[in-house]
Amino acid sequence: MSERRLMLLHYVTGIGILITGAVHLWVVFFTVPLDQTIWETTMLFDNHPFAILSVYRNALLASTLWLLLVFTTYHAMNGIRVILMELIPNRSFVSAIKWVLIALGLFLVVYGTRTILIAYNIR
Amino acid sequence: MLFPSRYSLERWSYTLQRITGVVVTLYFVLHVIETGNFVGGPSVWYVPPYDYARAYYEEIREFLHNPVFDVGLVIIGWMVAFHAVNGLRLTLAHFGITLGRPSRVEPEAPPRSFSPFQRAIFWISIALAVFAVVYSLNALMGVLAA
Amino acid sequence: MEGKVVFTVFRHDPSAGERPRFVRYEVPYRSGMTVLDGLLYIKERIDHTLAIRYSCRMGICGSCGMKVNGLPRLACFTQVSELGRSIKVEPLPNHPLVRDLVTDFTAFFSKHRAVKPWLIRKDAEEQENPTRQYLQSDQELERYIQFSYCISCGLCYSACPVVTALPEFPGPQALAWLYRFYADSRDQGGRERLRLVDDATGIWRCHFAGSCSQVCPKGVDPALAIQLLRRAVLRG
Ligand code: SF4
Ligand code: FES
Repeated sequence: MSERRLMLLHYVTGIGILITGAVHLWVVFFTVPLDQTIWETTMLFDNHPFAILSVYRNALLASTLWLLLVFTTYHAMNGIRVILMELIPNRSFVSAIKWVLIALGLFLVVYGTRTILIAYNIR
Repeated sequence: MLFPSRYSLERWSYTLQRITGVVVTLYFVLHVIETGNFVGGPSVWYVPPYDYARAYYEEIREFLHNPVFDVGLVIIGWMVAFHAVNGLRLTLAHFGITLGRPSRVEPEAPPRSFSPFQRAIFWISIALAVFAVVYSLNALMGVLAA
Repeated sequence: MEGKVVFTVFRHDPSAGERPRFVRYEVPYRSGMTVLDGLLYIKERIDHTLAIRYSCRMGICGSCGMKVNGLPRLACFTQVSELGRSIKVEPLPNHPLVRDLVTDFTAFFSKHRAVKPWLIRKDAEEQENPTRQYLQSDQELERYIQFSYCISCGLCYSACPVVTALPEFPGPQALAWLYRFYADSRDQGGRERLRLVDDATGIWRCHFAGSCSQVCPKGVDPALAIQLLRRAVLRG
């Protein structure tokens, strides 16, 4: 991919994270009453409207979470690539690190998707 | 060069954006791995029974529920809020939006690219980051309620 | 302000194999004195081996750039009175050192040349032997006039944190010049120009740290030019 595409995606995923991340934070933090902590409410396994399992079981929230996972993975891996290629301007290092980051990114997406899919199906 | 004490706000934003980006990335990787444990750890690639997953989750929750991780999360909250809003500011700037327009040079005037709008978003990102600290301190450790 | 000003000056001759050092010089203060005046006093009365580069003494030629009290500035354009009694002078960072306060601009100028800082016309014959005048409206002029004030002093280049880390980066000056011609209504370089910097070591490496615009002595605001250039590249 051209550098232009890569960076354009960086902005797009950034905006995407802003939206899906807001939903994620809202679910975990902003649904918690001010006189309680997340450990007593959303960080429970079940039996609360926004407990862990309830979030994953909600198809809409689960898909938002998946989008957040994909966006963040790209944004983070590309961000690290940008920082490293500017810190260590050595062509062979840059192409080597690219593959490490692609592998790490794939792992994150696969592992995170697994979590979301499995949790969605726990009954 | 890391701490640009003599340079303007924009330079600080550049440095902070990088540091927060790297730290939040580290958190993100750990977060994906750690939430994987909610459904029974790396060896589970099928849907486990409800009780098994629940027992596994309770164990993880026990491990995570302590002041050290809470404070860590508060710091991550600060960084996420800053990186998000400052990132929005940078995106706008990179697309040429919210910057001043080029014109004839006025001596002693600040650069047009340091527009009041841009500066305002920077300070909003700092303010939101502070809010994130207060809010998450309460949501995690209940400091306001105490 | 009267009395003495203390100049702490970076001295180093890479070819002599000695270590870089800072030398203190006391210079009598004179009202209206610039940093360049102080350095010339040192060169004339105290130590004539001090190497400095300057020419116009009036902020036009762009050859007297150096780091003064931590920021890149033009020595002839910086009043001693705005700095106080103690002044630290170092060579510009990001440019290779020649000797003392003199730096080598070869790489800087070759990046300048690489963005084709001249008007490109499709019709080569017309360009060599113009048959008419090419008029511009006020609005057309304002799109680039600010960026054409650049004197290529290299201060922005030495303030840029990206140039420090990535030597292939064209730097603020070259990118601003590229935009200056791209935005000129008489220029027909168009996409060709954008392609010059649309690569992994080009415009995408700017992260708007703004240090270039902060130090520019001419109010060029290269950071603004670069963001507008990036907008053009993003639009493809
Ligand atoms: S843009 Fe300003 S600082 Fe940079 S070379 Fe031109 S005059 Fe000097
Ligand atoms: S001597 Fe010409 S700009 Fe300073």
